[in-house]
Amino acid sequence: MNDEDFARPKWRRWLLNRFVLVPAVLVLVTIGWNLWVVTHDHGIIRGRVVDAAGAPVEGAEVKLWVFNFATFVVKASTTTKPDGSFEFANNPSHNIQVSADKPGEGRSARVPIRLYFASEDFALKEPLRLANGS
Amino acid sequence: MRKYPRWPIHLALVATCFVMLVPFYWVLKTSISGENIFSYPPSIIPRHPNPFYYVDVWYAIPFARFFLNSVIVSVMTVIANVVLNAMAGYSLTQGFRGKTVVLMLFLSCMMIPFQTTIIPAYLITGKLGLLDSYLGLALPMFSTIICIFVFKASFDAIPHSLIDAARIDGLSEWKIIWKVMIPLAKSAMATNVILSFIWSWNNFMWPLIATRSADMQTLPLGLARFLSYQEDSTGALYAFCIMVLAPGILLFLLAQKEFVQGLTSGAAKG
Amino acid sequence: MVVAETATAMRRPHFALRKSTRKAILIWSFLAPSLLIFLLYRILPLGWNVLLSFQAWSPMKPAVFIGLDNYQEMLFDDEVFWQALWNTLGIIASAPIGIAIALGLALLVNSDIRGRDVYRTLIFLSYPLMTVAVAIIWRWMFDERVGLINYVARVLDLVDKPIPFLNSFTWALPSVIAANIWQMLGFYMIIILTGLQNIPGNLYEAAAIDGANAFRRFLRITLPLLRPSLFLCFVIGMLNSVTSFDLVYVMTAGGPGRATEILITYIYKLAFTQTRFDYAAALTVTFFVLLLGVTWTANRLSGGNAGAVGMD
Repeated sequence: MNDEDFARPKWRRWLLNRFVLVPAVLVLVTIGWNLWVVTHDHGIIRGRVVDAAGAPVEGAEVKLWVFNFATFVVKASTTTKPDGSFEFANNPSHNIQVSADKPGEGRSARVPIRLYFASEDFALKEPLRLANGS
Repeated sequence: MRKYPRWPIHLALVATCFVMLVPFYWVLKTSISGENIFSYPPSIIPRHPNPFYYVDVWYAIPFARFFLNSVIVSVMTVIANVVLNAMAGYSLTQGFRGKTVVLMLFLSCMMIPFQTTIIPAYLITGKLGLLDSYLGLALPMFSTIICIFVFKASFDAIPHSLIDAARIDGLSEWKIIWKVMIPLAKSAMATNVILSFIWSWNNFMWPLIATRSADMQTLPLGLARFLSYQEDSTGALYAFCIMVLAPGILLFLLAQKEFVQGLTSGAAKG
Repeated sequence: MVVAETATAMRRPHFALRKSTRKAILIWSFLAPSLLIFLLYRILPLGWNVLLSFQAWSPMKPAVFIGLDNYQEMLFDDEVFWQALWNTLGIIASAPIGIAIALGLALLVNSDIRGRDVYRTLIFLSYPLMTVAVAIIWRWMFDERVGLINYVARVLDLVDKPIPFLNSFTWALPSVIAANIWQMLGFYMIIILTGLQNIPGNLYEAAAIDGANAFRRFLRITLPLLRPSLFLCFVIGMLNSVTSFDLVYVMTAGGPGRATEILITYIYKLAFTQTRFDYAAALTVTFFVLLLGVTWTANRLSGGNAGAVGMD
């Protein structure tokens, strides 16, 4: 304890002590992160399907694949709306893939999606492109 | 002082630090990029860094549970250590009949490494019904000789005039301990907290022996189990390593002085 | 004062105690918990091990006294014991390598340069780490296909084929030893630094005035005064490396074959995989005697005061 310490009020000395500051910051970050997770974990996956020319595709079947031990298995599937968009609810996992398929228009590649936590709400930036139509 | 060039010394030290730190960097790199598990030659800068291996680790094993177990056991150990060691250290500063015997006992216990006691420790813990419980995991580490001597040295360093003044003021022994000695032994307490926490956090052999069910395992056990399940096929194992090392490194950087002080003073006594 | 105390004692109820007895009770009740822990988990186990080593016992059956049979089996029928003993002795003999490197580092860090604390922290950083994680890291660095060590060796043209470090009978134990040295280097350095800082500077100045050059000053002043620190490092390093269960278990599990099996991993396997508590107890007693012997020898060689750091 030296003179400099007496210049600051006692509670301030306590607060700025590294043994209090660092755990306090960690606790705040943990609480903040958990709040974020709790408000964003509905498991909603959104995206769009377009064809090779870029036009939205209606009625394409979109599958949601979930990582299970060593491989991906199909967990759910849905169909696209008239504007080409689709939405999954209740995605349980953090490591998923989506693929789209419309007979006659082709199929898209399986797009991997990695989330920061399970059931994170996510919207695909790039639409799924159908290719190799027969 | 003598005139000799400084740069060779800096060069040698920087080279040494490089060698000592390369494993850290390499593991960190792999944990965020997942490469160099199968590929050769390895790359120095990570390509496509991503944090998703950490997410994988969190969900692949009950990381939160292992972390909680480690935290609970370590907190129990630290609290018990501070209390028990301070009490024992204080006793050793007073004179009493049988003090030499007690001192010899403590010093000889330093010579018995934990690994030579595992079988009976396991049997005793079993008899006490404490296998597979937090108390059973923490109990053998509730007191350590090094820390007792750290406290003893700290209490010895308190000037007698202070204690005598307190006695003259009429304080009872108990109050003297609380009001005079403990506030002046803060650094010994910090040392004790750091040392006992790190030893308890890193302890692998005793939890390996004393736990039966998978959800009482601590972090080191979880890490070893992860290795045997996943082999080293993904960056997740190395992400796990980083997650496990981070608290230890953080704590060490926060409390370097106390850590080093405790080790050197305690080691010098033995 | 005594008269007054006795007088008040006679007036108080008879169960009031004298101050010195109260103090003794306080002291002993303070000591009791720690003593209990040590009794329960150090002293008692030591005795129980000795007892067990002379018995044949399995958990379901009562113990049978069989004298020296366990020791006989250990010495004459058990090749693994001799291999483990040999490996353990090898580890003990390799402790000086780490200490020598640490001595060099300590001398460098102790010299008058800027940033010594930073260097010291960086080098010491490996010590407080979880040994399991260290084992995993080094297991991968020594890997035959993707390990960094092999890569550096190939780049520097030291070898033309990668060396299977952890799978070869000759390289496995040195690899484990190297990982252990990496972890302990900072610790040795800190202890030697403390010893170096306790050497009074005027000794060096006096020697310089007398015409001794740096090398002679090192040989005649530094080394002898560092003897306690060096042997302390040796004892601690030896204790740490022969009990490095974590490192061996995770890095190689004792393999290949039994090339890295040390006494402590063998004891663990016997006791907790094969449930041969009695035989494992015999090995534990032998292990303990070995440790005591090496420590005692080191203590004698250091002049009998391995604990003293400094001149007086």
